[in-house]
Amino acid sequence: MSGTLRQVGVDIQDAEENRGLVDAIKADNPQLTIRHLPGLLKLQAAGRMVINRETVESKLGRDWDTGEFQLAIVSYVGNFSEWDDDQIIVSWEH
Amino acid sequence: MPVKALYDYEFPSADRAELFGDDQLVYVHWDGNPLFCAAACFRAPKAMPFGEFVAQLVGPWAASDPDFDASTIRDWRLFDEPLAADPGRSLADLGIGHKALLRFSA
Amino acid sequence: MTQTTPRARKLPLKERYALLTRDLDWEPSYVDKQQLFPYTSYEGIKIHDWDGWQDPFRLTVDAYYKYQAEKDKRLYAILDGFAQSQGHLGLSDASYLNAIKLFIQGVTPVEYAAHRHFAYLARYLEGPAPRFAALCQSVDELRHTQTQIHTISNYNKYYAGFHSWSKMHDRMWYLSVPKSLFDDAMSAGPFEFLISISFSFEYLLTNLLFVPFMSGASFNGDMPTMSFGFSAQSDESRHMTLGLEAIKFLLEQDEANVPIIQGWIDKWFWRAYRVSALVAGMMDYMLPRPVMSWKEAFELYFEDQMLGGLFPDLDFYGINPPRHVEDAIAEKDHLSHQVYKILHNFSFAAAFTTQTPGEEHSRWLAEQYPATYEQLYKPVWDKHARTEAAGGRIFFQGLPQVCQVCQLPMAFTEPGDPARISFRRTDYRGEIFHTCSNGCQWIFEREPEKYVQAWLPVHQIYQGHCGGPSIPEVLQWYGIQDGDNGEYKGSPDARSWAEWHASAPVQGG
Repeated sequence: MSGTLRQVGVDIQDAEENRGLVDAIKADNPQLTIRHLPGLLKLQAAGRMVINRETVESKLGRDWDTGEFQLAIVSYVGNFSEWDDDQIIVSWEH
Repeated sequence: MPVKALYDYEFPSADRAELFGDDQLVYVHWDGNPLFCAAACFRAPKAMPFGEFVAQLVGPWAASDPDFDASTIRDWRLFDEPLAADPGRSLADLGIGHKALLRFSA
Repeated sequence: MTQTTPRARKLPLKERYALLTRDLDWEPSYVDKQQLFPYTSYEGIKIHDWDGWQDPFRLTVDAYYKYQAEKDKRLYAILDGFAQSQGHLGLSDASYLNAIKLFIQGVTPVEYAAHRHFAYLARYLEGPAPRFAALCQSVDELRHTQTQIHTISNYNKYYAGFHSWSKMHDRMWYLSVPKSLFDDAMSAGPFEFLISISFSFEYLLTNLLFVPFMSGASFNGDMPTMSFGFSAQSDESRHMTLGLEAIKFLLEQDEANVPIIQGWIDKWFWRAYRVSALVAGMMDYMLPRPVMSWKEAFELYFEDQMLGGLFPDLDFYGINPPRHVEDAIAEKDHLSHQVYKILHNFSFAAAFTTQTPGEEHSRWLAEQYPATYEQLYKPVWDKHARTEAAGGRIFFQGLPQVCQVCQLPMAFTEPGDPARISFRRTDYRGEIFHTCSNGCQWIFEREPEKYVQAWLPVHQIYQGHCGGPSIPEVLQWYGIQDGDNGEYKGSPDARSWAEWHASAPVQGG
C-alpha cells in the first residue's frame, strides 16, 4: 500500500433518485468530499470508497440491488476492487 | 519494427511519385506568418519553372493574407538549406523533388 | 439498529455471473483450438490462463438488458420533451451547434466502428469473461451510435451541417483524423485494439474526449446531448473497467507482454491525444458559454487523474507513463489555439462554421492562458477582426500540409518554441514522409509499412479521387450544402437564430 493515499472517486448523476445513494456513501465514508458540477456530483475519498447495500436501502427506504449503481454512475477514478450483492469497493491496488 | 501480421505485409505507398506522373507534390511554408495555420501543399509539374511556380501557385495562396506583397519574398529554403531560387530553372533542376518542403520569408 | 432481513435470493452475484459466463464455455472436441481462435497469438502476447480475466461489474445478460432498457426509456423521454417544447430555441446561441456538428460527424461513426470491432472480439477472444464483456460493449457502442443519432436528429430539422455526417466522415479532411485512428486500431490485432481503444481511448483519455462535449452541452442549453452524455457515461464506466482489466490481465499473464504493452501505450496515448486536439479547439472556441479551458481539463483529467493516479498503479508492473507525454504537457497552453486556427482557416471546406473570437471571448481566453494568448494568438485574431470589420474574411486559399500519421494539418509548434512549426521528416524506401511532432514521427518509424498506405485527404484530392480538381467540385463530393460551411456570422444558422429570437413576448410586453 503506497504511503500517500491517492484519491479515488465516483461521479454520480445529480438526480433526485440518487440523493439516498449519495447520503449512504457519505455515511459510510467519513472523509468523503463532494463537488457539485452541473448535473454531476463528484465524490472523492483518499485511497478507498465503499458502497454498502444495507446503508443505501436504509436511506432509500426500499430494496436496492448493487447492480442499480450502474444507472447512477457517470465515471470513476480507481478500480472496482469488489462488487457483489452487498458491497461495492473502489480503490487503488498498488 | 515490422507490422505484425498473419501474412506477408507488403503494400505500396498511397502517394508514391509514380502516381503523379509528370507532376509532384510540393509543400510551401511562409516562415513567421502565424495567419496561416500550416504550410500549403501544391501539385505542380516537375518541369515547371520556379518563377511560374511562385507566381501562379504560391502567390495566390500567400495573398490569402491581405498584407502580402510578392516583391518582399526572400530567403527561400529547401528543407533547412538555403535555396538559390533561380526563377528560370525548373523545380526538378533546383533539386525540389516529390514532397519537398520549401520555406520563404516576406 | 434496524434488523435487515437478508433478501431471499436464488444465487449470489458471484455464482450467477460464473454460471452465465464461464460455465457456458466449453473445450472444443472436434475443432482445433488454434483454428477456432486464430488471432490471439500473432501479436506476440502470451496468455496462460484466460480465467484470470475478472469483470468487477459481474454483469450477466439479464441484468445487462434490464438496465440498458431502463436507460433508453429515460433518455428517449427527455428527447421527446425537448423536441416537443422547441427546446433548441433555449440554446445559448446557434453557433454552439458547431460543436455538435463536429461531434456527430467525428464521433458517432467511430462509435459504430467500435461496435463492429467489439463484436469481432466477442467471437475471437479465447476466454468467456472477456468475450461477454466485449459483447456488452459491442451492444453498448451500437446503442451510443443510435442514441447520438436520435439525440442530434432534432437539430437537423432546423440547422445546417447535420444532414450527411456518415458520408462526410468517410470523405472529409478533418474527419479523417478520428476515422484513421479507428482504422488503425481495427486493422491491428485484438490485443493491440484492447490497449488502443479500451485502454487508451476509453480509460486514459475518455474524460478529456467526452466530458467537454457533455459539460459544454449542459452549459449551453443542450439538454438532449447532455442527457445522452449522462446516459452513455454509465456504460462508459463499464468500458473503462474493461480497459483497465485488459491491461492488468495482459501484464499479469506474462512478463514478456510488458514491453509490447508499453509500446502500444506509447503509440496510442499519442494517437488519441492528437485526436483530442479537436476537442481542445471545440471547448476553448466553440462554446458561447465555456465550461473550462482545455488546459484546465488536461491538468485535471490527464495530469492529475492519470499521471498522478493511474500510472503509479501501473508502475507495479514495470509500465512507464507514455513516451512523449512531456510534449503533450508542454503544448497545453497552445493546442486549442493552434487547432482553432486550422478550423478557422478551413471552415469554407468543412460542414461547420467558425468565427473570430469577440472581445469578451478574447478576455476569457486571456484569463485562461495568461502566458500565451495575448502574446501569440490574439494578434492573429485581431488581424482577422480588422479584415472582417472592413468587410472581408480570411480563409486559407489552398490545401494544407497534413501529418502522415495523425492526419491533422501540420499546425503544431516545437515544444518550447511556439514561433516555429514542428516539421519532422522521415525517408522510407526512397520516399519522403512528413509528420507533425516527435510523437507522430516515432509512430511512423515504428510501423512505416502501415502508415505509407494512409489515405491523406489533401493528397487524394490532388490525385483526383475527390470529385474533381476544383474546390467547388470537392465540396460537392464531400456533400456540403449551402449554409453548412464558412463563416458563422451572416450564415443561414445565424440569420434563422436572429429571426426566431427577434420578437418580444406579445402578452405582458
